[in-house]
Amino acid sequence: MPQFSVSPDGSWIQETGLPFEMNESDNYALEEALQIREQMGDSEVVIVSLGPDRCQKVIREALAKGADRAIHIKEDSPYETDPYSIATALANTIKDEKFELVLSGLQSDDLGFGQTGVILGEILGMTTATLVVGTEIQDGKIKVKRELESGWFQWQTMDLPASLAIQSGLNQPRYPSLKGIMGAKKKEIKESSFAEMCDIDGLQAFNGLSVQRAEKQTEMIEGTVDQVVNKLVDVFKNEIRIN
Amino acid sequence: MPDIHFSNIEKIILTLSTLACLGSFVYEVWRRIRIVLRGQGSLPFDKIGARIWRVINEVLFHKKVMGQRFWPGLMHGLVFWGFLVFGLITIDHFAIGFGAPLFSKSFHHFYSYFGIPFAILALIGIVSLVYRRFITQPVHLGKLSPTSGLVAVFIVVLMVTYIIGEMDISPLTWKINWWLHSAMILAFLWLIPRSKHLHLVLAPINIFFRPFTQPEHTLVEIDLEASEEDLDNMLASMTQMTMNQVLDVFSCVECGRCTEVCPANRGGGVLDPKNHFILDLRQPLLESGSVDVLAQLNIEAGWECTTCQACTEVCPVGNHVEKSDEIRRSEVLIEGKVPQEYQKLFTNLQETGNTEGASSSPLAESLPVYSSDMEYVLWLGCFARYGLDPDFENSVRSFTKILDVANVSYGILENEHCSGDPPNRLGDKLTYSMLREYNTELLSEVKKVVTLCPHCAVNLEREYAKYGNVNYTVEHHTQVIKRLITEGKIKVEKGENGKVTFHDPCNLSRMLDELDAPRMAITSVTSDFMELEESGRQTLCCGAGGGLWWKKETQGRTHLVRAEQVVKSGADTVVTGCNFCYGMMKQGLGPLTPDGRSEISVKDIADIVAENMVSNK
Amino acid sequence: MDILVVLEDKNGNIHRMSQEAITGAQQIGSEFNLSVGILAMGSNAAALSEQAAQYDVEEVLTLENEHLNHYTADGYGAAVAQVVTNENPKYVFFGYTYQVRDYVPRVSAKLKRPFLNDAVSYSTEGGNPVFSKQVLNAKLVTALQPSDGGPILISFQSAAFSSENIQSGSANARTISVDIDAAVIKTVTEDPFQEEAGGVDLSSAELIVSIGRGIGKEENIPLAQELAKVMGAELASSRPVVDSGWLAPHHQIGSSGQTVAPKLYLALGISGAIQHVVGMKGSKNIVVVNKDPDAPLFELADYGVVGDVLEIIPKLTEALK
Repeated sequence: MPQFSVSPDGSWIQETGLPFEMNESDNYALEEALQIREQMGDSEVVIVSLGPDRCQKVIREALAKGADRAIHIKEDSPYETDPYSIATALANTIKDEKFELVLSGLQSDDLGFGQTGVILGEILGMTTATLVVGTEIQDGKIKVKRELESGWFQWQTMDLPASLAIQSGLNQPRYPSLKGIMGAKKKEIKESSFAEMCDIDGLQAFNGLSVQRAEKQTEMIEGTVDQVVNKLVDVFKNEIRIN
Repeated sequence: MPDIHFSNIEKIILTLSTLACLGSFVYEVWRRIRIVLRGQGSLPFDKIGARIWRVINEVLFHKKVMGQRFWPGLMHGLVFWGFLVFGLITIDHFAIGFGAPLFSKSFHHFYSYFGIPFAILALIGIVSLVYRRFITQPVHLGKLSPTSGLVAVFIVVLMVTYIIGEMDISPLTWKINWWLHSAMILAFLWLIPRSKHLHLVLAPINIFFRPFTQPEHTLVEIDLEASEEDLDNMLASMTQMTMNQVLDVFSCVECGRCTEVCPANRGGGVLDPKNHFILDLRQPLLESGSVDVLAQLNIEAGWECTTCQACTEVCPVGNHVEKSDEIRRSEVLIEGKVPQEYQKLFTNLQETGNTEGASSSPLAESLPVYSSDMEYVLWLGCFARYGLDPDFENSVRSFTKILDVANVSYGILENEHCSGDPPNRLGDKLTYSMLREYNTELLSEVKKVVTLCPHCAVNLEREYAKYGNVNYTVEHHTQVIKRLITEGKIKVEKGENGKVTFHDPCNLSRMLDELDAPRMAITSVTSDFMELEESGRQTLCCGAGGGLWWKKETQGRTHLVRAEQVVKSGADTVVTGCNFCYGMMKQGLGPLTPDGRSEISVKDIADIVAENMVSNK
Repeated sequence: MDILVVLEDKNGNIHRMSQEAITGAQQIGSEFNLSVGILAMGSNAAALSEQAAQYDVEEVLTLENEHLNHYTADGYGAAVAQVVTNENPKYVFFGYTYQVRDYVPRVSAKLKRPFLNDAVSYSTEGGNPVFSKQVLNAKLVTALQPSDGGPILISFQSAAFSSENIQSGSANARTISVDIDAAVIKTVTEDPFQEEAGGVDLSSAELIVSIGRGIGKEENIPLAQELAKVMGAELASSRPVVDSGWLAPHHQIGSSGQTVAPKLYLALGISGAIQHVVGMKGSKNIVVVNKDPDAPLFELADYGVVGDVLEIIPKLTEALK
């Protein structure tokens, strides 16, 4: 894992030299979408992505895996961090196409808000679900399996249109075939800009970004076995709070 | 042998039955040869002298057949040599039936002084083999085969009827005996092409055409600018067998040696090379008559292979057994079905040019940078560069120490990308071609490369050369060390390391044909060297080859089988010449070393040599 | 009230993380002079209210509605949005549970007010609390600046506050209601169910007890299993334990096993080979017990003990029971 450092203007991290990849849960969402399409037959999988030029690589990867076309909402640094603004831009971009299903990753591994898909669904009047670990299309509705805490799960049947936030691990994402990779070059990527698509003021912003823990200080616990055990129990309950 | 006359009716019957069986034989053989000729590429005729010599060695002298399994090999040899001696006799036998014997009576009688002892030896041979096959039933020979039983009966009857035919018996008995012998020959002719006994005909031919290096697979050249039609053609050709591969399938004698040596199979995996790589293709080839049958291979088995080529090495009829390349490349390039851990590996390689997705290498930064006035490029490889086993850094430094003492100049390439061995062996030929093109460009002005990783060496030297010109030479570090010791550029003395053994890396022994350099180095620094039970070209893979170092959730114990052998050998130190082998030994030996026994030390050749260097002065 | 804490129902009891949110509200309330109210809703609203009334807060609101008897994001989202509009608190606190992830963004969008999720701490600025969350897999932390003009929704990460510090007292009770059109509910839920634990996905485990070769032999594994059970943790191991056949492969953590980032990774008898470390270095708290003081894993540890795991495990198990 690369070490991150905060950029000079304090707005985000230094990106130069860092490798980028598709957000992990997004990859699972994409695979789920492709599998639903294979099941349904006559449907289209469209990719939407917000970000700078380097997003194109990930968009092409999705097209190579089998998506039909894409929309790239271009955005330059400093990047928007407010999930409501992001969801608004996405909603404005797709609202006229009247999609039946919107799938997104559960959360982005960088910002970790986990809200975009649900907010998008609310703005467009869709039903929503998060932590989705299974999907089933059933006569005009969608049945999803949600992950609850501690090994519990729940199925729910939702009206379409629906916006689902997909949890990692629910399927085996495919690798792009050679034909897919070469075919992706010819698929359409429509472009627009964030400024055009987001017509509101943001609801929250980052203010003061810092590196969490530069150095690890190990606290050594010493003493007899009983003393050590007592101290460990104290650490577990009061410092780490395992409850 | 009495004076015998064959009536016209007998001659007609003989003619018709001979024509029928001979015709059937020719038809069936020709049918298979035709399928072979539909294969891609062509059969090789280069190095004819070496090829002929190999046939003489392996067929006539039974070098491999007796080398691996001596006694059954010798018994088979007796049957085989018996067959050679009986070649002329058999022709003469039929000639007699047509009333035109080849040999005079006295020559025939004289020949029987060879014939009868050989017949007896052949009988001993075949009876021992029958006992082994049907009573002992070694597991790798597979299910009991009625065909084998039938052939055994044929051979026994043939030998017995020959001997009887040389005895003083009544003409009637002689004739009945004669017809029995002929019937056996004709039945045999009918059976040969329809069974594994086709190896009688095809094995020498297959051994003649066997490639000289391994592994050997069709190249997959990817042109990202190609038209859709060209791409379709290229992808379609990926599932088609080559002539040599088809010939392999029909030559297979089903002995099971390939499965017996396979590390994945021995580790409890699904992979069974005899069936999964060879025999599963036989019916599809015969039924369809087409060579486009590679898609039928078992995919799960294909992912388990370590690409070590033990199967190819051991095959007595010259098969290139391993087919994981064919299976994996289809799964990756055509199907897009890749195990998740390998997807990550490929993405890392595409993004950063190394297997770990890392952006820097402290080891590389601490070493001198290559400039053209230096003798060698020291090629590190991702394993050393990115600390896949952090202790291996010591081995790299042992080697640089040796080079420093010997006054050999070297430098690393700052922009070294992965040599591409993992994607190459895992079927991602696209990522491989990207890395290969990049490195070829990087090495365009370089003359000499030395590396500690045999996987890198195999690719940089041999694999890259299959795609284009390579203007540099590649040495494995053990080869350089051997040379430096021989030339007196470094001085070593024999030190104390307890019992020392050497684990041959499969990429070094079987793919680079290097057995001697590491041994020379080790025996220069210790007097207590012992070989492991499967060593040299018969080495048992450590389990990390073929990209399996990055495999998650190992079902079998492929990675532990060799470690077990090391523990059993009683060695105190195991030396190896490959960073993957080093890492696997370190991981595997720990849990397997019994309580009370001290830890087995794992060293690279560079380590043990550097430790025992003495001052030159 | 200034701070409204929304409770989550756990089978008729207040969810632990809601208790933590109450604790946080009380703490922040007292520090910044803000009053605290609690909202109990759903089919067990009455029971939850009764429990909540024992805490030192200004008031407890009870909300019952037929459309809230079963959880749906449609229903809860609509209800909470209405309550917040009516009560107009400065802050709305939640525990960051899976349920909160599922419906609170709906509230945020309906109200057009920010949802600061997974907050881990707060600081003071200009007489107001400023909340922070972690980004980039907890490698960095950032303070969040919400826009003005209405309530701010905040959910707290587990253990951001400790429910042991909750203040008891008494509270006023108030019943409230909301107007939810049946057409708003477009989701039908089935009963929750549990699944077979075979092949546990360790990557989502909060607590992990992990054993290495220091466990000695197969016979000692039950000791570790017992400890894990008592702690409510998942059992995991380094590779040699799996290679020796003592545990099934899905327990393995490392480069050829699972990658985990639990709140607590208790490493017992693991030396810390790089192949193992890459699978667990993202853990938030690492406690290492090993009899070798030079074990590399100590470098990653938050807490370390040089000692014999076979002595420590049984005593630790007893003490935690």
